[in-house]
Amino acid sequence: MPLDFEFTKEQEDIRLTVREFAEKYIAPKAVEFEEKQEVPKEITREMARLGLFGILFPEKYDGLGLDPITAGIVLEEIVRADITFSLAVAYLVHTSWGYVAYKYGSDEFREDIIRKAAKGDIWVGIATTEPGAGSDLVGITTTAKKDVDGYLIFGEKAYISGVREAREKGAWFELGGGHVTLAYTDKTKQHKGMSLFFVPLTDPNITIRLEKEFGRKGWSFGSFVLNNVKVPETYRIGEEGRGFYIAMEGFDHARAYIALACAVGGKRAIELAAEYAKQRRAFGEPVATFQGVQFQLADNWARLEAAHALAYKALWALKMEQEGKIGRFEVTKIAASAKLFAVQAAKAAIDDALRWFGAYGYTEENLVALALKAVKSYDWAEGSLDIMRLIVAREVLGKEYIVRRR
Amino acid sequence: MVNPYDKYAIEASVQLKEKFGGKAVGIAMAPPHAADALREVLAMGVDEMVLLSDPKLAGSDTLATSYALSVAIKKVEQRLGSVDLVLCGIESSDSNTGHIGPEVGEWLGVPSVSYVDRILEIKDGYAVVKRLIEGGYAVMKVKLPAVFSIAGTSYQPRIPSLRDVLAARRKQIDVWNADGVGLDPSLVGLVGSPTRVVKMWRIEIRRKGKIFTDSDVDVAIEKLLNELKKDGVPLGV
Repeated sequence: MPLDFEFTKEQEDIRLTVREFAEKYIAPKAVEFEEKQEVPKEITREMARLGLFGILFPEKYDGLGLDPITAGIVLEEIVRADITFSLAVAYLVHTSWGYVAYKYGSDEFREDIIRKAAKGDIWVGIATTEPGAGSDLVGITTTAKKDVDGYLIFGEKAYISGVREAREKGAWFELGGGHVTLAYTDKTKQHKGMSLFFVPLTDPNITIRLEKEFGRKGWSFGSFVLNNVKVPETYRIGEEGRGFYIAMEGFDHARAYIALACAVGGKRAIELAAEYAKQRRAFGEPVATFQGVQFQLADNWARLEAAHALAYKALWALKMEQEGKIGRFEVTKIAASAKLFAVQAAKAAIDDALRWFGAYGYTEENLVALALKAVKSYDWAEGSLDIMRLIVAREVLGKEYIVRRR
Repeated sequence: MVNPYDKYAIEASVQLKEKFGGKAVGIAMAPPHAADALREVLAMGVDEMVLLSDPKLAGSDTLATSYALSVAIKKVEQRLGSVDLVLCGIESSDSNTGHIGPEVGEWLGVPSVSYVDRILEIKDGYAVVKRLIEGGYAVMKVKLPAVFSIAGTSYQPRIPSLRDVLAARRKQIDVWNADGVGLDPSLVGLVGSPTRVVKMWRIEIRRKGKIFTDSDVDVAIEKLLNELKKDGVPLGV
């Protein structure tokens, strides 16, 4: 297959359509997401109508049957319009984890939940982290016990995106949503005793608590307690004991999209700051004429351009994996590299760009300031940067050079 | 890209189709590369799209263009049966003449109404339309078939779903040429266009900005009023 940076005509059509929507309905309100700490419900409903929550699901289940690269194009347009990343989280978490839930879910689950997720009636989130375990996932304590015709789940998940949006029916999504939730089905087997379940957050035996987020405040972030939550067996995603591995696959997806969001968000921040620097004068000249600004701009832009290309390589790798052309670990390595690089490139670029605003950069109405808080979340979300380093090192050096702490 | 003003007319046609049934056929006159942009029209819900494209049409002014379009409309009529309504955008976003709608009406010999904000009713061979006029609107009853040029924002163009966008890619756009439609070559292109563009230039508006810096606002207002009076601006006092 030849190397090609061109998109297909279909992909360009999709880009233009999403851009029209994003510029008209999202961009004018992005600052308000942060202020009001929510995304207007009309926006997620309209995203559902356009089909944005069904990109990767097959047409058989009411999706569009498109590939991760096309899903990335949609994400780019969402991020360009909203660099608070509120909608980026909404879109990329659902896209990544919805796909994994589809891939490993049973036929009944696909008919029941995936069909609704594809229409945007159900939002799909991810819940692995707990108060006592994040990077060290083996430390989770949530358990799922086999019951008559399903499982009973106990535990607590923390720092989870979209708990409020999934909890409330008929609000952001017609039927609320649920989280792909990691739990032990056999604690003695450590990571080989974990399983994944789709847990609807509308369940009355779940209580949610919201955190005060540092940034990307438009999409909720909080914890939920599962007190004897019954889920049918069909809501188990993949076989018992495969949960950890399936979760790792889901992280690869999310990391590729996060890398893209960071690259595009960083570029957008530079564009916005550059516009300001062209207008704003200091010492008798536009701020943009100072080489101190120009050199920062060029270095950051070049890094973001590289991050952008690497992010698309990660999405391409996901596509190649779907087609059986490259292996699991290769995808993991590229996706981890992409996240590692893009998050740092975006943070540095946005931090520099923000300085061109002078003191105006230190206000909450400055979108670029909001973007800096947003990308900061990716120091941790969907795998911390140090975990990305460990993964890349492991894949390059070989497993035997990774010191096991457990 | 599709002329933004045309999108209101496209939206109107799709809404009428959704309400009354029938078929919406789009006609565009443009060079062949425009076909790509026309996918958007199909995605919005227009059933068929015709692109009238021929080097012979190059240089057509609004008279020649409206002639060519009216002949294409007659051809659609031959193929699909009577055309009840022709909807146009109010004007183009490049030359903004606003001629095409009324001129197509003349060529077809049917009534035309420009600046239609909303089609209120269609019944018994008549349409009732709300037409924008200076300082208000007029409601008119018009015999069909007719040509309306759609203005205003009453028909907010929809953003098509991605499913419709993808489906539009798979639809065919018919390309018609001058001979195929049976155009009189003397009425199209530069030959058929009485309008001659002799020269184009940019109009420069030289504004005289004047800033009154008096700290006493009343004094500044007084000066401003004097300035306006000097320029003959009627102040109503």
